[in-house]
Amino acid sequence: MNGIVKRFPGVVANDHVDFELRAGEVHGLLGENGAGKTTLMNVLYGIHRPDEGEIYIRGEKVSIGSPREAINLGIGMVHQHFKLVEPHTVLENILLGLKEPAFILNLKHAADKVLEISKRYELPIDPRARIWQLSMGERQRVEILKALYRGANILVLDEPTSVLTPPETKELFRFIAQMASEGRSVVFITHKLDEVMAASDRVTVLRAGRNVDTLPRDQLEKTKLASMMVGREVLFTLRKSPVVAGEPVLELNQVTVMGDKGFPAVKNLTLTIRKGEILGVAGIAGNGQRELTEAITGMRPILSGQVRLSGKEIDRESISRRIEEGIAYVPEDRVGVAAPQGLTVAQDLVLRRYREKPFSNGVFLNQREIEGNAETLIREFKIMVSGKDATARTLSGGNLQKLILARELSGKPKLIIAVYPTRGLDVGATEYVRSLLLRQREAGTALLMVSEDLDEILSLSDKIAVMYGGEVVGTFPTSEANVEEIGLMMGGSLRKN
Amino acid sequence: MPVFSLVLGFLSAAPLFLAVGVNPILAYRQVLGVFLNVDGLTESFTRGIPLLLASVGLCLPFKMNFWNIGAEGQLFMGAFGATAMVFLLPDSSAFVLLGSMIIAGFIFGGLFGLIPGYLKARLETNEVLTTLMLNFVAILWVDYLVYGPWRDPKGFGFPLTPMFPPNARLPWIPGTRIHTGLIVGLVCAGLVYVFLARTKWGYELKVTGESRLAAKYAGIDYLKLTLLVMFISGGLAGLAGMGLVSGIVLRLRHGISPGYGFSAIIIAWLARLNPLAVVPVSILFGGLLVAGDALQIGLGLAFATSQVFQALILLFVVGAEVLTRYKVALTWE
Amino acid sequence: MAFYVSLLAHTVQAGTPLLLGTVGEIYAERSGVLNLGVEGMMAMGALTAFTTSFYTGNIGLALALAMAAGALVSLIHAFLSITMRANQIVSGLAITILGLGLSGFLGKPMIGMIAPHLASFPIPILAEIPIVGPIFFSQDVLVYISIVLALVLWFVLFKTRLGLNARSVGENPAMADSLGLNVYLIRYLCVLLGGVTAGLAGAYLSLLYTPLWIEGMTAGKGWIVIALTIFATWNPLRALLGAYLFGGVIALQFRLQAIGIGTQAPQFLLMLPYLTTIVALVLISVEAVRRRMGVPAALGLPYVRGES
Repeated sequence: MNGIVKRFPGVVANDHVDFELRAGEVHGLLGENGAGKTTLMNVLYGIHRPDEGEIYIRGEKVSIGSPREAINLGIGMVHQHFKLVEPHTVLENILLGLKEPAFILNLKHAADKVLEISKRYELPIDPRARIWQLSMGERQRVEILKALYRGANILVLDEPTSVLTPPETKELFRFIAQMASEGRSVVFITHKLDEVMAASDRVTVLRAGRNVDTLPRDQLEKTKLASMMVGREVLFTLRKSPVVAGEPVLELNQVTVMGDKGFPAVKNLTLTIRKGEILGVAGIAGNGQRELTEAITGMRPILSGQVRLSGKEIDRESISRRIEEGIAYVPEDRVGVAAPQGLTVAQDLVLRRYREKPFSNGVFLNQREIEGNAETLIREFKIMVSGKDATARTLSGGNLQKLILARELSGKPKLIIAVYPTRGLDVGATEYVRSLLLRQREAGTALLMVSEDLDEILSLSDKIAVMYGGEVVGTFPTSEANVEEIGLMMGGSLRKN
Repeated sequence: MPVFSLVLGFLSAAPLFLAVGVNPILAYRQVLGVFLNVDGLTESFTRGIPLLLASVGLCLPFKMNFWNIGAEGQLFMGAFGATAMVFLLPDSSAFVLLGSMIIAGFIFGGLFGLIPGYLKARLETNEVLTTLMLNFVAILWVDYLVYGPWRDPKGFGFPLTPMFPPNARLPWIPGTRIHTGLIVGLVCAGLVYVFLARTKWGYELKVTGESRLAAKYAGIDYLKLTLLVMFISGGLAGLAGMGLVSGIVLRLRHGISPGYGFSAIIIAWLARLNPLAVVPVSILFGGLLVAGDALQIGLGLAFATSQVFQALILLFVVGAEVLTRYKVALTWE
Repeated sequence: MAFYVSLLAHTVQAGTPLLLGTVGEIYAERSGVLNLGVEGMMAMGALTAFTTSFYTGNIGLALALAMAAGALVSLIHAFLSITMRANQIVSGLAITILGLGLSGFLGKPMIGMIAPHLASFPIPILAEIPIVGPIFFSQDVLVYISIVLALVLWFVLFKTRLGLNARSVGENPAMADSLGLNVYLIRYLCVLLGGVTAGLAGAYLSLLYTPLWIEGMTAGKGWIVIALTIFATWNPLRALLGAYLFGGVIALQFRLQAIGIGTQAPQFLLMLPYLTTIVALVLISVEAVRRRMGVPAALGLPYVRGES
């Protein structure tokens, strides 16, 4: 792949990326979230069309317009989110979308072929099993078999080990090695340093849409990779005023939270946040951060452990109760969850607070108060909108985030949970949001901030916690932060508890 | 725009009239005649009352994307409850009897509506299918009563109860021949409007209608909201049933409602779930029913004519509505 | 004994229109389109069949036109729900009211009249078998067709590519689309199939079940079809059993009334199909069962490419 450029509104996902894959090679593609790894492979798989650049397969220039065409060229991809139909059987999922057998599904023949492939690569599976009965590891095997059934000799795996247990991971790499020994090529996308070091023949590191470098196996070194992945020299003038942290506001003790995929997304996690303190949660997305914030705010139940707010146990309380107690929540999903698009700005500005005194008296809503509140907040936070009665849909991303923050911060919360607060915002909005958060900190609020932007974490937080695999693998004050170490922690190679 | 499609739908029935050998001009004249004379108008209002009550009730669950298709059944249960009061307290004063009939009608319909509400909120059971099925359970229950224990011994074996005594009949609004159910209906329309626009539950409905996840984020209790809304919705449909037996038919019989509960769905939808807009639309539909009668008597056409009008109007409005909404994004593949 | 034999024979006849309507509705719902217009389509089928038979005496033609009528009406619903992405509930109800209204309206002149009927067509030899013979093999052509159709459609749905595609479109249309399946076309075809079978079911009602034309030929059978579709968990084989079960309930309450037994409460018997369907619905809501035989995940939701 030469000079691949792929742009999306507001961001250049791939910025003139060159990528080379040799026959019989296992190639690791390493990088943080948003580095462009998945996008690049999606271009290869025909899901996206590159804005610029060319692709050559075995020396021939090709244009890949759809996954169908990619499959015809021998490219197979196993995505992070499996594309399987749950009530169907394994066999039905494998056969779906194929051109033949055209009419009567010769299930016996197909089953035999599947079993043959499965035996050859030691990927045990029962073709008649239904997807919902299978574990995540088994489902992944189905996805792999799907690609192999269609004759893939370039196999792309996107974060394959994120859903696997350690023994399953070993099995996977054994399989990958077998593929390579047959002369087929495997690309696997990951953020885990240990894996990429152990399994790859070569590693390419992407950062912010660019190809940093490609290193062969013998030149692989953990710390080097980590700093390539994470990148910057960090020397930031801390514009923060020193604040003495007060008593603990949020205490999590041995908290375990179930994820959507059938296994715990957060495991025995313990952490504390004090008054006037910002805890930055760093880590590649998908390591339990989302589930953690959902558990604290009440959107997701806790399996075990305790959550205390200013000493009081809240893990059994309803969401509305927690709102009352002073937990503010700025979630990842702005459009669908935090600010429903069909409501007016004024209505969205009281979304979590409409039960409170001036806005409602228990039965009726006080329209005047709500509108007054809207006018005040629009002015204070400089939300650019045609009027308080405009629909939320008309707001730009930055202004929508301002709306959400305005609402959450105006309730004088004790604890603010902010997830990717500046994602997708322009420079000005980003500055503004960050200054807001800092001001809250000075006022004594405790903040938990999840961010994928290390700069942000380093410049705003007092304490940093790095999450990997549902656990906190390192907690330390920002002053002791070492970017290389953080990179290693994010990649699962270091623990510093 | 909706008016235009209304008219179009109306006129599209012309070829049908020709098909059965009737001059469409005559037919249309009959229909207009309904609206242009006092008796016809009065009848339209009267027939429209149960539609009004049921449709107003439906505005609530629909607003939160809870598809209550069970208004018909809830109506039957309300009719049942009201009639039960007549059997229980035949000698009370009109005030007491009618009062208890109203309360019973509302409660029976409301309780019946709680069932699918609970099933959806607790178990995520598809409400379209549960409410649909419950309709027939309610209809058959009433059938059981009017063919069996409640049958009028002097009714020649027909499935109906004895006529209601005078103290069980809704009085007419003085000066007209429309029964007081209309007042109840208008009041309910107003109350539901206020409920939607001014109360915190109205707000919760709006949010839930946007997204259940957003509602959860806002701290809204889906179970409580669903139960409340279905109780009211079922209750209003029950009131419609009470109005039917106490104001129009004056007894409970088989087929007491010829599908009013289903028409109510369409009316609520046409009115864009606005309780105030429901009023004129239900009067209009009431008028269509009267027109159906008139055409039957005057031109020998089937009573089903009013259904044909209803359906054609609806189809044209649905078509127009979707056309305007998706004018830009109409992709064929 | 003779009572039971004739009861069972009647069961088969009562169940046939249900079976016909259900197998088509299964396909429509499996592909993700909720079709509440079955009652209206059946009514149109009944009307078309009766009128054709009345004027031409040609039963075959009557059946064919009934199927065409059902298909035409379902085309309206398909267009509104699939292409226009209108609310499927409102569209379906509109179709029902339209179908019922039209058939009542256009059928008025023919009330009370009789048209040439479907004759019974005993299969030689098989019809002689005691008990089973009169029940299953001395029926009319449509009964046989309905059974064969159920079996064929079951096979197609689960063992062929067409069926696999239809099912996938109703479970995960986005995924099916990304795999190259034409979601819209598949849905159209399934809804049309539903219309065709509903028309055929209606034809059965007017050409065999009721001796003459009355207002309200379908008598709610379309709604029972919708119930049966759920009760059979969208599986044509189970629909076969369920149709005869429900048909049996209808036949039974008829007989009992005629004899005078249980005139107390035939309605409770008639409630059974609906109540058991509700129970079935609750059962399949339970997560574990939902995965295996639950409601098609995309049922009732219009598909827009690019969304989600």
